[in-house]
Amino acid sequence: MNLIAMDYLLPAYADSEQDMDAALMTIRAELRCEPEPAVAFRRRFLDSFEWSLYRADIVLEEITSNGGRELLWQDLTDDGTVLARQTLDTDPGLIADMAPGPVRERLAPLLGVRRLLPMVVLSGSRRTLRVLNDDDKTVARILLEQAHVESADDAPQVALPMRLRLAAVRGYAHETERAAHRLKTSLSLEPARVPLYLEALAAAGRRPGSYSSKLDYRLDPHQPAEAAARTILLGLLDTLQANIDGTRQNLDPEFLHDLRVATRRTRSALSQIKGVLPQAIVDDFKARFAWLQQATGPVRDLDVYLLDFPRLKAQLPPALRDDLDPLRDWLAAHYEAEQEALAEVLDGERFKTLLRDWRAFLEAPDRNGAKDAQSPIKAVANKRIRRMFKRVLEEGRAITDASPPEELHELRKSGKKLRYLMEFFQSLYPPEDIKGLIKQSKVLLDNLGGFQDLAVQAEHLQETAAAMQREDAAPLHTLLAMGALISHILDNQQRARGEFARIFAGFDSAQNAGVFERLFADEKPAVAAPVEAGAEAGA
Amino acid sequence: MKTIGVYSIKGGVGKTSSTVNLAYLAAAAGKRTLVWDLDPQGAASFYFRVKPKVKGGGRGLLRGRRRPDDAIKGTDFELLDLLPADFSYRNMDILLEAAKKRPTGQLKRLLKPLSTEYDLVLFDCPPSISLMSENIFRAADALLVPLIPSTLSARTLHQLLEFLRSEDGFGALKVLPFFSMVDTDRAMHSETIDRLSTEHPEILSARIPLAQDVERMGLHRMPLPAYAPANPASGAYRALWDEVANALRA
Ligand SMILES: Nc1ncnc2c1ncn2[C@@H]1O[C@H](COP(=O)(O)OP(=O)(O)O)[C@@H](O)[C@H]1O
Ligand SMILES: [Mg+2]
Repeated sequence: MNLIAMDYLLPAYADSEQDMDAALMTIRAELRCEPEPAVAFRRRFLDSFEWSLYRADIVLEEITSNGGRELLWQDLTDDGTVLARQTLDTDPGLIADMAPGPVRERLAPLLGVRRLLPMVVLSGSRRTLRVLNDDDKTVARILLEQAHVESADDAPQVALPMRLRLAAVRGYAHETERAAHRLKTSLSLEPARVPLYLEALAAAGRRPGSYSSKLDYRLDPHQPAEAAARTILLGLLDTLQANIDGTRQNLDPEFLHDLRVATRRTRSALSQIKGVLPQAIVDDFKARFAWLQQATGPVRDLDVYLLDFPRLKAQLPPALRDDLDPLRDWLAAHYEAEQEALAEVLDGERFKTLLRDWRAFLEAPDRNGAKDAQSPIKAVANKRIRRMFKRVLEEGRAITDASPPEELHELRKSGKKLRYLMEFFQSLYPPEDIKGLIKQSKVLLDNLGGFQDLAVQAEHLQETAAAMQREDAAPLHTLLAMGALISHILDNQQRARGEFARIFAGFDSAQNAGVFERLFADEKPAVAAPVEAGAEAGA
Repeated sequence: MKTIGVYSIKGGVGKTSSTVNLAYLAAAAGKRTLVWDLDPQGAASFYFRVKPKVKGGGRGLLRGRRRPDDAIKGTDFELLDLLPADFSYRNMDILLEAAKKRPTGQLKRLLKPLSTEYDLVLFDCPPSISLMSENIFRAADALLVPLIPSTLSARTLHQLLEFLRSEDGFGALKVLPFFSMVDTDRAMHSETIDRLSTEHPEILSARIPLAQDVERMGLHRMPLPAYAPANPASGAYRALWDEVANALRA
């Protein structure tokens, strides 16, 4: 194993059957070797929608040839060393549907709940020649491959240059080097500079790593605020649209999740980047995106439930666990109808018009915006972040052990707004500092989120129990198990509540205040703070 | 990684033939497999067309001057590698004796760095009961023991079981005997098989027939199922591999 393989292109040869034969003849005249029968193959290169494998320098390939099907796990940076392989008898998709094996083992942590999708598909043929020594022992392998990129429908097929791969057999490095030398001179080989996968992606017109749900805008601090706001909102719209198809087909739960996050961020940007876009536009689209958020909610709720189900179940004592299964069946039974309703929304006129109108507005040349439309974005960002930080501190400091849950809920909303603002504008600030602050706010939000999500979960379980009972779908044991679960969840919620004071104190530190002061202070100290505070009081 | 010693006190019972064929079948089933040829005669190396030579010999390996890793050769078959024999292995007991601590744990020690690289290691063992065999027993998860169905083979099986019982630390070692070179035309063979199978229910049910095609492996210099996959003896080796793979999982 750990074979060294060298890839070459054959520039002197095109890609026809005759060229392959000519190359074979040349090789056989040069080296003692034995040809194996020609093999037709189909290679599907797989990754998640967000290129999780590519980002980890992994190439996952499904290769079908000679009636067999195999998954190969390779290192992108290391000449395609095969690190693991596994035979297949079903289409690879979700981890949950995949048979155990060495590839699945490596794949699971990188793929999570995402589905494997074909990023590019090649088909072609391969001839293998075994290079032999005097004992007729194979000391190296020469693989000649010609392949083309499969394309949808009747688009023309793109042929890749013919490749020659020289694969060493372990322990025979010397023989391989000699073979390489002779091949290079006789066939005028050129080392392939790009791994086959990347070459195929390029030929198919796909850019690896092109999708990410992360916010990553490069803003110019002096840019007019309106232009910057449009950049941010356009980016969010692109993300939202990229996820529509996967959501409609329900390829995996992350499509809907990313779509909803983009929607939520859009709403947050609309209301938080104040005084920049025309107020009438802001009000109109805020309402329309709120509708979208609400229309996509039920399926997401079910997704969360179903994904979380094994964990929920494990929270119960073993004797009660199976009693919970009717709950899962009930959720699964409602899933299809909700997913259908969601697909209808996504295909519907209201949604299409929303996207069309929104893009038209964002792409229209600058018109008269609101009062701060032409201010530099940095000044607007500073002001908004300062303001929101102050609000988070005020709300957080007012919370005591006796405060009702609603106050924590309000604080969470403010904290989220603060975090989104910092994320939208992160390119305007020193990366280390802003990353640190974002992380800090995440710790606080995790605590508040844990507290609130648990409350919602408990409430949701109660409602579900009632609904199940109405539909006669809940045996007594199941209701009791759900009750036990609710009590467990409420205990956890209490624990999260108990930790709030400590975690908030960590956020409300002198050091944090110092960083905020330093990062978000206005360059011109003449802009007086008290005036802003007054103007903003009712927001 | 699982480790199997193909072992018998006796020579000429089918150890090497079984090692080579089972290793081939394991690799064909997707297991990253290594054959370690421990017999100085180097028959397994011969079958794979690899020169029976390890630079630095047994001494180099044991003294840590050479790593087993560097001596490994790829065979003609995917996922199947070989650590060749070396003539110096005939003096292995003396070399092992010289190891300062744990002369019986040396093979296990040498094997350790290979554990992430292979799913299965098969030792082709020389016929003896020696310090080397003890090293094999300590390193292996299972011993695969070919038995030619004769009265003598019963004796050698008892001897082996007796030895393993008398020593500490072999409790977890699975002993998997199977009948090798079975000639059903000979009444003696059938009788012995019947008798031994009742006495020793641990004997595997796959039986390797006496077959000329197995002998011809020396001419083809490759595993039997590689050149005669449809041969009944190949079928017998496949049945044997299935049973062994099952026993290793258990
Ligand atoms: N099933 C069989 N049928 C016929 N001949 C066999 C069979 N198994 C092994 N042989 C032959 O018997 C001899 C000894 O076999 P081998 O596998 O080398 O045994 P060991 O390794 O135990 O010495 C070899 O010549 C081999 O070809
Ligand atoms: Mg032998």
